[in-house]
Amino acid sequence: MHEVLLTLGFGLVTAAILSLSAVAFTLEYAVTRVANLSHGEILTIGAYAAYLVQQSTGNALLAALAAAAAGGVVALAMHTTVIDRFVRHGVGTMPTFIATLGMSFVIQNVLVIFFGAANVAYTIPQGAPHQVGPFLWTSTEEEIIISALGITAVLYVIITYTKFGKALRAVFQNRDLARVTGINARLVAAATWFLAGLVAGYAGFILAESVGTFNPYFGFSFFLITLTAAVAGGLGKPFSTMAGAIIVGITLEFTGGYISSSYELAFAFAILATIILVRPRGLFTNAGRAIFE
Amino acid sequence: MIQYLISILTEGAIFGIMALGLNVIWGWSGDFDLAYYGYVALGAYMTLVLTIGRQPPPAEYILGLQLPYLVALLGAVVSSALMGLIVGLIALRHLRGIYFSIVTLGAVYVLYVLAGQYVPLFDGYNGLSGLFNPMGDALGLDFQSYQYFFLGFCVFMFILVFIFMARISGSRFGLALRTLREDERAAAAFGRDIYLLKLRAYVLGAAFGGLAGGLFAAYLSAFNPSAWSPIEAIILYSAILVGGKGNIKGVVLGVVVMIVLIQESTRFLPDVPGLPNVVPALREIVIGAVLVLFLRFRPQGLLPERRYVDRLPPNRVDPGVDVLPPPRPGTPDRRPRPARDRDRRSTRAFPPLPAPGAAAGASVRGPLAQDRPEVSTSVPAALVVEGLHKHFGGVVAVDSCSFRVPKGQVTGLIGPNGAGKSTAIDLISGFKLPDAGTIFFEGTAIQGLPPHRISRLGLIRTFQTPREWPGLTVLENVLLARWDPERETLWRGLIGPGRAQRSTSKSELGRAREILADLGLDKLGNERAGNLSGGQKRLVEFARIRMAEPQLVILDEPMGGVNPVLGERMVVAIEGFIASGTSVIIIEHNLPFIERVAHHVVVMSQGSVIATGPFESLRSNQSVIDAYLGEVSGEVSYE
Repeated sequence: MHEVLLTLGFGLVTAAILSLSAVAFTLEYAVTRVANLSHGEILTIGAYAAYLVQQSTGNALLAALAAAAAGGVVALAMHTTVIDRFVRHGVGTMPTFIATLGMSFVIQNVLVIFFGAANVAYTIPQGAPHQVGPFLWTSTEEEIIISALGITAVLYVIITYTKFGKALRAVFQNRDLARVTGINARLVAAATWFLAGLVAGYAGFILAESVGTFNPYFGFSFFLITLTAAVAGGLGKPFSTMAGAIIVGITLEFTGGYISSSYELAFAFAILATIILVRPRGLFTNAGRAIFE
Repeated sequence: MIQYLISILTEGAIFGIMALGLNVIWGWSGDFDLAYYGYVALGAYMTLVLTIGRQPPPAEYILGLQLPYLVALLGAVVSSALMGLIVGLIALRHLRGIYFSIVTLGAVYVLYVLAGQYVPLFDGYNGLSGLFNPMGDALGLDFQSYQYFFLGFCVFMFILVFIFMARISGSRFGLALRTLREDERAAAAFGRDIYLLKLRAYVLGAAFGGLAGGLFAAYLSAFNPSAWSPIEAIILYSAILVGGKGNIKGVVLGVVVMIVLIQESTRFLPDVPGLPNVVPALREIVIGAVLVLFLRFRPQGLLPERRYVDRLPPNRVDPGVDVLPPPRPGTPDRRPRPARDRDRRSTRAFPPLPAPGAAAGASVRGPLAQDRPEVSTSVPAALVVEGLHKHFGGVVAVDSCSFRVPKGQVTGLIGPNGAGKSTAIDLISGFKLPDAGTIFFEGTAIQGLPPHRISRLGLIRTFQTPREWPGLTVLENVLLARWDPERETLWRGLIGPGRAQRSTSKSELGRAREILADLGLDKLGNERAGNLSGGQKRLVEFARIRMAEPQLVILDEPMGGVNPVLGERMVVAIEGFIASGTSVIIIEHNLPFIERVAHHVVVMSQGSVIATGPFESLRSNQSVIDAYLGEVSGEVSYE
């Protein structure tokens, strides 16, 4: 029993990071209908930004802010330089999807030029693990969970109660209809990508913090798990996505803890394939599977 | 220098095979498959485990046979095809678009992780090695001449693959694959089993991936997880995209540009001192950027896919000049045009249009309306629907709906929006599964059959929005409306002699031309269907149905957004269906149109049939007036 709770505790940490990454991914999808394959690179850039700031100032809070800011800027740049142009030009969903893969390739290699392909050690004093309720967490892990909860609460308020949130949901439901009713869909989309970038950049920081090392390809491998969580929850739906992230995060921690962590990615995809085949619209949507829908 | 040239050419031939294989999946069938590099890798691994024999521990891997290289190559092809079959069976069943891509990405990562982590499979991260100069010893070649020999072998294989692809590309099978890429629903509506066809294309592509992998293994003489990554498929995608998706010559050009010139040639550039990563990273940046730029600015590639051009004189027209319908008689035509064309206009095959005023008169009524039989059970039924039921969540769309469609007549299906008409059509044509009820078509129960089976029985439908195959020409759209089980197989595409090799027969071509001429589309035969106006696309759908010669056709709102002139041509076309023995169901909100063409009307409301009978009888039917006709019922008139 004790071991189960322990694993559950670690799973919650993974789930916290995963839910931030996945909610950012799903927000990007919501406003542009593009599954952004270069999403992982936002996390990577966040990690590098945090690392650089941490190196020069030694301040973790500044590093976190730098990660978020860098993520926001990169996501906004992705949107304005590529995604928005594709969407406005009427390029279909699939070509845009493929273009984001090209973008991911470009960003990874730009990072290789600047930082090299080798792993960067990101060591922050984690503090001794201590008992929190039934779980055993270090203070860093506590911070990760608390900050993830805080960000989720802020996102919830923004999406549910603000005018911007309403516009965002309108653009998700029907972009053209939203535009006809006077919503500046491009602006909403750009702002949403920026917001998603802030969250993803910060997720990159906490991921690097919790893993301890990273390299230019680090975001992409985590992205594959992010994709699982987002699809499990339902693409485009922020809060279902979070629920999906929690389920996937904890499941992975258990399979990793009890079987072998090297197969984590394979497990993630086994879960993903099962979910897509059984409930392609996500675990929480009651939709059958059919080609013609 | 020679050394360098040989290795680049060898790699070019191998990558060429890979790209041609992927082109079947992406270029023709239209699926963005991220697992493709996994088939290449599996082919490479399998070739090694089949040839290198047992090596001393700690090396650990499956099989460890010492087969001849060519046999191993065959083994590689078979294993990649098998993996393709498994992945395809799962991923192609219900998934399209990004969901398909995501599942294939998952599949390849599972393979990647297994190959890297599960040591007993392919010796984990150490990988496999020891395939030196296969076939070389038997031929008694030294290292120098072996290189030339292996280059020759790869080029030979490449040429074989190219010829194979060239035959498939122009074959009926190749065209059928393109109908899937262009519009899957329309492909199903015209008899194509999309799952089976897509699966065939997928397995075929994977098999070529395996072949390329087998050659690659011999070229590298070793293979391990650091020699490949799933994402390398992106290089193949950029090559196909740059060259021209779907065009095999384009694909080869793309391989030359992206892989031979950019990817491989730069491998031998000296490193920038102090910055070891710059050259390889720049190369990949270029590949990624080219992919993005081409997707946005030239998605058709450098050599766009070529379409079959009908060169016979009657339809000869400069593509793109005459996209608009012919000008009204009497209007001077200022567009430049070849003289021959100008002469032809007065004698074109389309019959003169009736003056709008005369439209509702007896002259055009012809075989249709002059004698409208009262529908009774004495007329045999083409279609009998009994107690059809369908709900979506809590919404009941079709509720115990029953009606019969008399043979050889036009049945109008009308009703307010949301009455369940389109759902009923989807259920009848197999695009949705009914929850309950029976559907008899020509005496055969068809409820629950997939769309292509129903289509093959002779029931063809259209859709609310025209579903042409936009990238194919109008003539191809018409030709491919006829599903041909004999000629649409891979085998016939490959070995069929003479004419069968070409995608179409002379009589079929003649028939298609005739149909296009009848509908006034003869000048547009070589135009891509996607460039046509909405009304013209409707006419193309009519032309396809004429070509397919079904026993029953269901037209879903054919008049939506169509101007009156084209509308007249549709009336003529519908009369043509009846004359040739095709029964017709029309869903339409344009009641004057229904009144004019339909012998018999079925009125639906809230999911069930509330009235049936000739149009006149419904005007006095109170429930029809309440549900649909409302106040306008007395004064409907055509115009």
